[in-house]
Amino acid sequence: MDRRELLKKIAILTGGVVIGGEVFLSGCKTGADAGLTFTPSTLALLDEIGETIIPATTTPGAKAAAIGEFMKIMVTDCYTVAEQKAFMDGLKSLEDICTKMHSKGFMDCSPQQRHDLLVSLEKEAKAFNDKKNEAEKEQKEIAKAAKQPFTGAPPHYYTLLKQLTLWGFFTSKTGMTETLRHNPVPGKFDGAFPYKKGDKAWAE
Amino acid sequence: MADNEYDAIVVGSGISGGWAAKELTEKGLKVLLLERGRDIKHIEGYVNASKDAWEFPHRGLRPTQQMINDYPALKRDYPLNEIVLDMWAKDKECPYTETKPFSWFRGYHVGGRSLTWGRQSYRYNKWDFEANLKDGHGTDWPIRYEDIAPWYSYAERFAGIQGSKEGLDVLPDGDFMPAMELNCVEKDVAEKIKKHFKGSRHMIIGRSANLTQPHHDRTNCQYRNRCWRGCPFGGYFSTQSATLPAAMKTGNLTLRPFSIVSKVLYDKDKKKATGVEIVDAMDKKTYAFKAKIVFLCASAFNSTWVLMNSATDIWPEGLGSSSGELGHNVMDHHFRCGASGKVEGFSDKYLFGRRPTGVYVPRFRNIYEDKRDYVRGFGYQGGASRGRGMDVAEFTIGADLKNALSEPADDWSIGIMGFGEMLPYHDNKITLNKNVTDAWGLPVLNMDVEIKDNEYKMRIDMMNDAKEMLEASGVKNVESYDYGYEVGMGIHEMGTARMGRDPKNSVLNGNNQVWDAKNVFVTDGACMTSASCVNPSLTYMAMTARAADFAVSELKKGNL
Repeated sequence: MDRRELLKKIAILTGGVVIGGEVFLSGCKTGADAGLTFTPSTLALLDEIGETIIPATTTPGAKAAAIGEFMKIMVTDCYTVAEQKAFMDGLKSLEDICTKMHSKGFMDCSPQQRHDLLVSLEKEAKAFNDKKNEAEKEQKEIAKAAKQPFTGAPPHYYTLLKQLTLWGFFTSKTGMTETLRHNPVPGKFDGAFPYKKGDKAWAE
Repeated sequence: MADNEYDAIVVGSGISGGWAAKELTEKGLKVLLLERGRDIKHIEGYVNASKDAWEFPHRGLRPTQQMINDYPALKRDYPLNEIVLDMWAKDKECPYTETKPFSWFRGYHVGGRSLTWGRQSYRYNKWDFEANLKDGHGTDWPIRYEDIAPWYSYAERFAGIQGSKEGLDVLPDGDFMPAMELNCVEKDVAEKIKKHFKGSRHMIIGRSANLTQPHHDRTNCQYRNRCWRGCPFGGYFSTQSATLPAAMKTGNLTLRPFSIVSKVLYDKDKKKATGVEIVDAMDKKTYAFKAKIVFLCASAFNSTWVLMNSATDIWPEGLGSSSGELGHNVMDHHFRCGASGKVEGFSDKYLFGRRPTGVYVPRFRNIYEDKRDYVRGFGYQGGASRGRGMDVAEFTIGADLKNALSEPADDWSIGIMGFGEMLPYHDNKITLNKNVTDAWGLPVLNMDVEIKDNEYKMRIDMMNDAKEMLEASGVKNVESYDYGYEVGMGIHEMGTARMGRDPKNSVLNGNNQVWDAKNVFVTDGACMTSASCVNPSLTYMAMTARAADFAVSELKKGNL
């Protein structure tokens, strides 16, 4: 799977919002100060969120792929200021909602409680993104007609978290070599290679 | 000979310059090959060739904001990627200006874009060389298919082009290596297209400069599909893998990186070039080199830029401008529209290896009896693949999602994208902008180029025909698209110093000689009189080899 296809698939999985699709056209400068603070406890929280989305099974999960560290690098280096703000504010919202739902913070929740929280956020994010896309539809058309780039508002923060988890896990060493099949030098090509249900996908 | 004197100077070390250096040195000339950027050594210079995704800080997924700021042109499309960032020119060191939006993606280093090219290799057909004459756009090519056909063979045999022989007038066969294979879905779709369109449309393997057999000192393709990082096996054609070692082997080549050629030195009494002047990119000093002949292969716009800066005491608009055509008739291939869908029934088949080419659908519009509301035509490139699973509406997160994503999807997907011919319009032009200078104080180019009615009409067919063909082949959920196209994105800049039959309306004659300086040859994309719809690099190879042969025979006759 090439990079474009990977991005497209993850975009569909995370609600049809292509984060970064617009970056080729925009050029916003990331301010030095966009409220970015990744403390050890932030990284631990991100690891656990990632692990809830992609858990260890017969193979390691997102935590083993150091997903928190990956998110930190991507958010710091690649995100626009607006995306950075959505991401950081979102982590606070997530804790607030978690406290309301389970009367304790995310780190203190059981795996099942974490799972239930993220499933509810998934629904919230879908509604949020649908509404956002609908609201921006007209502006988007106008920009397209004027051949101008269009940069919409960031999607729901949960969409960012899930997307970063999937991006990071399936491009990590464990994701590519243990959960997927990795073959850096195939040496030959077979366009009708036998496949039976359960065989793993190639990593690239 | 003095230190600064050579038989020939070649400007630029990309596909065309590499060929010029090889041909001229093999014919015994002492050649100076000038490259404006740094050297990249074969194999050891390909620093990212064997890295896996996790070894890149951002996994090659998304450019950083710093990269977006540093690369205002490159950021407009896929080339802005950390994996190959050092194989593109630094936009801010060498800016350009735009009257209309133009994406200019450049490779300023030894090998140029021969390292990052798409490797698709096709011959122009007999109609391509007659098109301008027949429909009145541009000027007539001074050559015909028969003139260049033997040189295509010559280029194919050395470069190593894999492809299938199809016997089609519209896409002439060549001297190919054994073809790579269509995958099982492509074979099925190809069969159905042939049947449905009664043999008037074809889906074939994309012909490409990837080896399917060992060739000279190069290893055959290992199906990694990481070509654009540089291939440690020499599995695809590049200056480094092919032409440069051949030229070096003769003992006749001097390669000088960091040499920005600023002008051709011109003797107005003899009406000939005497050499070139360069700005050394490192010490910023000016040096002169002398030679009997000069080959400009600096990429289409930069070859023209050198001409615009040359002999301005005689022609204010530069050497070759007496025709009024220097800098005009800019062309590219317009693309980014097509269709894709999914294919059911092949869930017991998968892929092994990553084939570095796709499928090709040769042009079928405006040939034989077909007649559209526009002229010329387009071809499609694409392919079928089986991606990873995603049919997981009920598994939003957790182990089920992980399992679904770690297996291939049940269905395959297939897509084809059109690449269309752009007409040579006189008012599509590049000019010198002396108000803006680059990091070396040299004036930059201004782009004033757009696609017009003919291209917009063609794009409608490019979308609709793609959809029709896929649907006729049983592909499901077919959706057509037009992502929008900005001129230059094809990275096939052509024209600006076109070949022609008359010095009054062309810059070069039928042997790629500048009419106003017969010992100056231009053999890169600048020389193109029309664009065809096929990828142009193989034609530059053939054109360069042909011109080099002519140049040396003229030199021997004392005509240059």
